[in-house]
Amino acid sequence: MATPLVEGIRLCKYFKTPKGQLHAVEDVNFKVFEGKTLGVVGESGCGKSTLGRTVLRLEKATSGQVLFKGENILKFGRKDMQKVQRNMQMIFQDPYSSLDPRMSIRALITEPLLVIEDKEKISSGEVKERVDAIMDMCGLPPNYSNLYPHELDGGMRQRVGLARSMVLDPKFIVCDEPVSALDVSIQAQILNLLMDLQDSQELSYMFITHDLAVVRHISDEIMVMYMGQVVEYTSSKELFAHPLHPYTRALLNSIPTIDLSRRNRERVTISGEVSSPINPTSGCRFAPRCPYAKEACKTSHVLKEVCPGHLVSCTEGAK
Amino acid sequence: MLFGKKKKPLSEYSTGELIMFRFRKNKLAMVGVFMFLFVTIFILLAPLIRPYDLVVKQNISHKLQAPNTQYIFGTDELGRDLLARILYGGRISLFCSLAIIGIAFVIGAIIGGAAGFFGGKVDTILMRVVDMLMSVPSALLAMAIITALGNGVWKLVIALSIGQIARFARMVRSSVLTLRNMEYVEAAKCFGSSSRRIIIKHILPNGIGPIVVSATLTLGAVILSISSMGYLGLGVASPTPEWGTIISENKVNIQYYPYLGIIPGICIMLTVMSVNFIGDGLRDAFDPKTKS
Amino acid sequence: MSDTTNEKYLLEIKDLFVQYNTDDAVVHAVNGLNLRLKSGEKLGLVGETGAGKTTLALSILQLLPKKVGQIASGSIKYKGEELIGKPDSYMLGLRGRRMSMIFQDPMTSLNPTKTVGDQILEVLQLHFPDLSKAEKDAKVDEMLQLVGIPASRKGEYPHQFSGGMKQRIVIAMALIAEPELLLADEPTTALDVTIQAQILELMRRLKDQFNSAVILITHSLGIVAEFCDNVSVIYSGHVVEHGSVEQIFGSDAKHPYTAGLINCIPDLAKDEARLKPIPGRMADPRHLPAGCCFADRCPHCMEICKTVPPRMYEKDGHQILCHLFEEKDGK
Repeated sequence: MATPLVEGIRLCKYFKTPKGQLHAVEDVNFKVFEGKTLGVVGESGCGKSTLGRTVLRLEKATSGQVLFKGENILKFGRKDMQKVQRNMQMIFQDPYSSLDPRMSIRALITEPLLVIEDKEKISSGEVKERVDAIMDMCGLPPNYSNLYPHELDGGMRQRVGLARSMVLDPKFIVCDEPVSALDVSIQAQILNLLMDLQDSQELSYMFITHDLAVVRHISDEIMVMYMGQVVEYTSSKELFAHPLHPYTRALLNSIPTIDLSRRNRERVTISGEVSSPINPTSGCRFAPRCPYAKEACKTSHVLKEVCPGHLVSCTEGAK
Repeated sequence: MLFGKKKKPLSEYSTGELIMFRFRKNKLAMVGVFMFLFVTIFILLAPLIRPYDLVVKQNISHKLQAPNTQYIFGTDELGRDLLARILYGGRISLFCSLAIIGIAFVIGAIIGGAAGFFGGKVDTILMRVVDMLMSVPSALLAMAIITALGNGVWKLVIALSIGQIARFARMVRSSVLTLRNMEYVEAAKCFGSSSRRIIIKHILPNGIGPIVVSATLTLGAVILSISSMGYLGLGVASPTPEWGTIISENKVNIQYYPYLGIIPGICIMLTVMSVNFIGDGLRDAFDPKTKS
Repeated sequence: MSDTTNEKYLLEIKDLFVQYNTDDAVVHAVNGLNLRLKSGEKLGLVGETGAGKTTLALSILQLLPKKVGQIASGSIKYKGEELIGKPDSYMLGLRGRRMSMIFQDPMTSLNPTKTVGDQILEVLQLHFPDLSKAEKDAKVDEMLQLVGIPASRKGEYPHQFSGGMKQRIVIAMALIAEPELLLADEPTTALDVTIQAQILELMRRLKDQFNSAVILITHSLGIVAEFCDNVSVIYSGHVVEHGSVEQIFGSDAKHPYTAGLINCIPDLAKDEARLKPIPGRMADPRHLPAGCCFADRCPHCMEICKTVPPRMYEKDGHQILCHLFEEKDGK
């Protein structure tokens, strides 16, 4: 079994609020291998964005480890972190607020290089070459160099965000809902671009989204989260073929489809709303809404490997 | 850029250019610009119009003359040429007010910026200092400081600057608080930007707009404060001219020689109005709701 | 079918042209749009950003921004009455009572300083002033119950509710006067997929209960397929395809844009290496091309497409605006 490029071990992130501890990410374990994509799926409030930020140290983890090539980066000091930082980048959801409105496209993409320029002694000629190459790779025509973000549409801006994170030649990119704000036809363009780059640059992605159709397409493995907990974790083929957790099944069932034969399928709508993850109980957090909830659910929540490569905390959904 | 013609469709201009364009459309703002330029140019050209010695040269035989061909603005009690005193006095008024705004802005920005960006204890301590500054009315504060330091142009500048720091500190702080949560700031952290770099490259350029507007609008108030101090006999001392001091030193004669009060008064009014028009114009130009 | 009097259609829009007169240029948001809606019908209006869907909805309600928005020409008839040119007072009587709208963002649709009960009550006070206070309160309670919110919560403020619940409240406000036409502009886009399913289910139930016609504006083909009876596909401000859900998603005859949209969606059933996006972007509404607006992105573009605007080809109520079908049919 190869060593994963990035690994999360018992990662927890809690926030202090006036009402108590908000358990945003609870005991999450994951592995992302080189050249592969881990999809993180869940609805709002499940902690997936917080997870992504914690992995990149944009948020300070409460406990747990994040291993990059076997080393725990959460314990790194400034110097060590600087060496590793360029390998782990992020693409943001909102193409409108993730680009500084006062910087031209070229300036935006060049910026990361300027930050590390002094330390790594890159000549300005090399910087120019690299930026040209990246713009070409991401489908940005050279005459866009002097345009400003507000002159581009959502899809183009997202390409700029992608180019900016690629310019340091990273190995791992956290994609936080990168296509959710885009039109369907543009989504497809950006997804194709992401996959092409993955092939040509041997990139690994943590792809965070609420859109199951998109995640299926791009991910090798998928992790389903609910209120900070991982409820199911397996390969994307397996998840769609044999979803086991009741929440996963409800999610899949909720996706509106143009397949007319499924129009009158039995709707598994979950009642109620996501409750608050402040001072939660130790058991399964889906229990209050679950049609199969039992007494035991309130106290225990354990991920078990029910078949090779398929981890799930509850198999009631299979019945 | 202020006076060029529109060449490309609106959407292709940068934000800065768009702001200038909107500013140009605002007639009142452009009137303000012209008025201010008019006043400034006159003041700068002072040596060409009247040599400095006329400011202090007393010619008692010519005292208290109403405006005539020889003395365009007339003379004061000591026979000094009022035009000369107004021209050079304007230099003091304008220079002081710009210096005061500049100093208050820089110090306020550093305090407010640090408080907003670093948060926590830094924020608490700095803001309590600002609170202390704000609890004393700025005019009283200025008077107290000048009385302690004595009269003089630089002492006046220091005294009035201190009163303005608090306002800028608060504005910059709230701007920074909003901006530091922007996603592009997070992105900058992702590729290892230092805090210093983030502040200079990302936060400052984006936050500066509304603060510049406020500074312009404050300029008018500061000119008035300097003049008020001058009228009270604080700050600028005779024989150094300054618009407010001119009114003050002639207050005995204003009843029968009204031009001694009206002319410097009009100068103050024109300058303050023009600066207010510019400030209003800038504020409207920066307002995204004006975008169609 | 051919002898339709205006009364047969609840809403009839003919050759509507709407533009925005900005400083920069004239933005042609709606260009020759035709639409017909019967009582009780569920019509899906599908299109991407900039297609003109929201402009259309606002035009129907005569809520375009006053200085900038302008209905250049065309007609909008509601139950036979022409709406364009009617005074504000007439429209005020229609809005909320006969025609209601649900907007996209539930976060900003509700007044944060009034309780939810008061906001629903306000609709009743405007349109049914003769009811007694007790009757109005009873109706509000009933409506809240119908949308799945306990009536006991009517004294709470919007910020105390989640996104999904806010949208239910907005729906309650829209339906309490039992309107004949409900315009829903991307009502579930801002919501999670499981909540979306709940809301759509709710809208389905309520529509049956009140027999309102619904125009559902969305960019999601899936929602349209599941919820609507008929679909109009909008591109560059006009309808490029119209038909029943079966015709649009079931038959092979499709407008190239519709086909492109369907191909873009990752298929849950199949494994594809790459998606098939539609290349390019929608035409600039300030400078519309002479011929077909989709020409530069169409895989089947012919010479005639670039210069001559296509006409509507129709078969059994399935309408496609495309030269391809004109030729085939010889019309």
